[in-house]
Amino acid sequence: MQPLLFFGFLARKMILALLVAAAFPLAAQAAPDGSLTIAVGADATTFHPHVNSLPVGNAVDMLVFEQLFRMGEDNSVVAQLADSWGWSEDGMTFSVQFETGHVFSNGNPLDAQAIAASFNQLLDPNSGSIYAGLYASLGRAEAQGEDTVVFHLNEKNGHILMLLANSAAGIIDVKANAEMGAGYGRKPIGSGPYIVDEFIGGERFSLVPNPLYKGDVPATLEKITFMSVPEDGARMALIETGEVDIVDRVPADSIEAINDSGLAKVILPDSMFSISMELINSGALADPRVREALNISIDREGMIQGILGGLATPSVGMVGPGTEDELRATFASKPFDPTRARELLAEAGYGPGKPLPLVVTCPNGRYIKDSQVCQALAAQWQAIGIDAKPQVMDLSNWSANSRLPLAERKDDMTMVGRATAGIDFTLYRLFKTGVSTNISGFSDPGVDRLLAEGRASSDADAQKRIYGEIQKIIWDANPYVFLWYQKQALGVADRVKNFVIRPDETMVFDNVSVSDS
Amino acid sequence: MYVLRRLLVAVPTLFAVSILAFWFVDMIPGDPAAQLAGNMASNEEIAAIRSHLGLDRSPIARYGLFLKGIVDPEIAVSYRTSRPVVQEIGERLPKTLIVAVGGLVLGIVFGVVTGVICALRQGGWFDAIVTIFTLAGISMPIYWLGLLCIWLFAVELRWLPAAGATTPWHFVLPVVVVATRPAALFSRLVTANLLEVMGKDYLDTARSKGLSETRVIVCHALRNSLVAAVSVAGVQFGGMLGGSVVTETVFGIPGLGRLLVEAVGSSDYPVIQYCVLMFAAVFIVINLAVDLIGQWLDPRTQENSSATGYGRP
Repeated sequence: MQPLLFFGFLARKMILALLVAAAFPLAAQAAPDGSLTIAVGADATTFHPHVNSLPVGNAVDMLVFEQLFRMGEDNSVVAQLADSWGWSEDGMTFSVQFETGHVFSNGNPLDAQAIAASFNQLLDPNSGSIYAGLYASLGRAEAQGEDTVVFHLNEKNGHILMLLANSAAGIIDVKANAEMGAGYGRKPIGSGPYIVDEFIGGERFSLVPNPLYKGDVPATLEKITFMSVPEDGARMALIETGEVDIVDRVPADSIEAINDSGLAKVILPDSMFSISMELINSGALADPRVREALNISIDREGMIQGILGGLATPSVGMVGPGTEDELRATFASKPFDPTRARELLAEAGYGPGKPLPLVVTCPNGRYIKDSQVCQALAAQWQAIGIDAKPQVMDLSNWSANSRLPLAERKDDMTMVGRATAGIDFTLYRLFKTGVSTNISGFSDPGVDRLLAEGRASSDADAQKRIYGEIQKIIWDANPYVFLWYQKQALGVADRVKNFVIRPDETMVFDNVSVSDS
Repeated sequence: MYVLRRLLVAVPTLFAVSILAFWFVDMIPGDPAAQLAGNMASNEEIAAIRSHLGLDRSPIARYGLFLKGIVDPEIAVSYRTSRPVVQEIGERLPKTLIVAVGGLVLGIVFGVVTGVICALRQGGWFDAIVTIFTLAGISMPIYWLGLLCIWLFAVELRWLPAAGATTPWHFVLPVVVVATRPAALFSRLVTANLLEVMGKDYLDTARSKGLSETRVIVCHALRNSLVAAVSVAGVQFGGMLGGSVVTETVFGIPGLGRLLVEAVGSSDYPVIQYCVLMFAAVFIVINLAVDLIGQWLDPRTQENSSATGYGRP
């Protein structure tokens, strides 16, 4: 094993123990008992962690696969298989020593070779992995001995734990994947507490305990069944009649009926989904006064209550709650001050004689009440003298429009929801000059420098300072019209105990139990 | 020989459909690779996925692969699931068929029975009730009716499950809902056709032979009036297969309609293209079956077919 600086090793072990204790307080060792049925609006097509992009798939992957690290219930990083870890002196090698003795559900050993093979497949774009780019900085994984895997990094990255904790980093059995082909996506072989017992495309899939599981968070339920029911009315009927135990995406107008059913209650946890109007920061919108006017001329609270039925909270920063909360910065929410907005527009040269023309693009059916919000935004901007025209698009056209080069865009802003687990990834992709995902064209040399520093730093205090500074600059510069963070709404039957859903909308079943009544 | 000739004529039709399906779908806005990669993926990452999916090949090369995929399932794979499209369709088709065939059979039975009764009891209370229900059946949106049925039979009465496709009971509400439109159509059609033929001479001839009124209606009048109904049934059935998405979405049934809509939403081109091709093939078979049944019901149409070159030798 090459020399490594396991700095702060003991402290890390202690923190790890505390985090694990906090994350899994009720890790039951009793035999699995009872079954749980969940109706979800999305239609899961694959559980292969290198391809899955749905929260429901993340929930299944957390149950089927083990990882070196994983996300806790509050989206913080906790160790799973990892015992100890550290960077090399030059910061270009990251090593993880892990707990041995685990096996995949087909009996194959989960050893260093298997872990390295799993990561190398994730990093190979030719494998079809949709996360090869996100994980590119991991470089290449190498097995060292029986219990250590070493990542030879492509660049210094102080956010590796966040990457390794994402469910895409679930450790797959590469050999089984090669043998099973596409079937692996439906009945994946992992080493987690559950295995997929049945998968009927578009209808349902179920999980049962993995008899070969060796970890600390064994299955608590005999069976977990997910039903795919896209129609809201039918899905709500299932919880109201007691046919299922949990439903997701409860519409605001169904909350009362579910709460009154006597069988279930609606929970409204935070979501990290941050909805904004991403402005094209050129032309008239290059003027910070215009961008500020747009931000302070809309009644967020009124729209949240009147249109979204209360299923959101006004933005207090670019990234939503649960996005690495230790690095996330929040600020006073944008005021609602149409008078000041008019003054700013006048200062920028716009007024009744010269209205500012704006085309406001929104998707239809992507976010909560998105098309209605589009109309409301345009109306409020029209009220301060802007010639705002709402442009509601179907999802395909909206997606294609967002990806057009800035010079080819015919609109001035588009509604987009952003939700990722990492501050570094989010801010780098959206605000670094020249990055193709920076669809606002935002450019600030200071931010670029700070983003590079933040990525390279593995010091928690330095990261907090750097990312705090970046978020402040972005919040003050108003490159977007920051709207709100969506709230999640789930109906949960009274008989379900200890159910948790993370801010990234992943359901957590670690400690879930069901009572008979 | 007639059937074989019709099937051979279908080959160029299917070829034309394959061209339209491939190119029209290819023109849908949106990039399948971008959809898979998500809205935080860079252009380079999307390009890598596009290459993996073979979307960086020339359109002609992709069309060639599309045609080859008709006979080689390993080539025709879904972008979303990487599974052969034939597996995706095979998994969904039975559920769609249960709802479509069940709805059509129920609709035909209900429509024909009520149609005959209405023709025989014109102006009576039964005719009035059936007229109201058939008008409602034709004009009521399936989506709304489905939700109404869920509310009544699942939420209020608790007689039937609200959604899903696990047990035969799950198919009761969708079949009944789907049956409303064909039932209403057949009822009006059969009534109108029966009333038209009731005064014809050949029925008087049948009566003069001493046949009972029931036999006259069922064996002579109804048989002739069903020719048009069979044509309508063919069109209805084709529409039910392709347009089943509303029922399947409302009742959470994993059928072809939902598969197709999900594929459109995620730009899963192979699934869309092969589904369209399959629907075209099904329509051709249905048309053939309708013609054969029509010829059996009314042998005079065989002579017409001969005159147009499609008849038996």
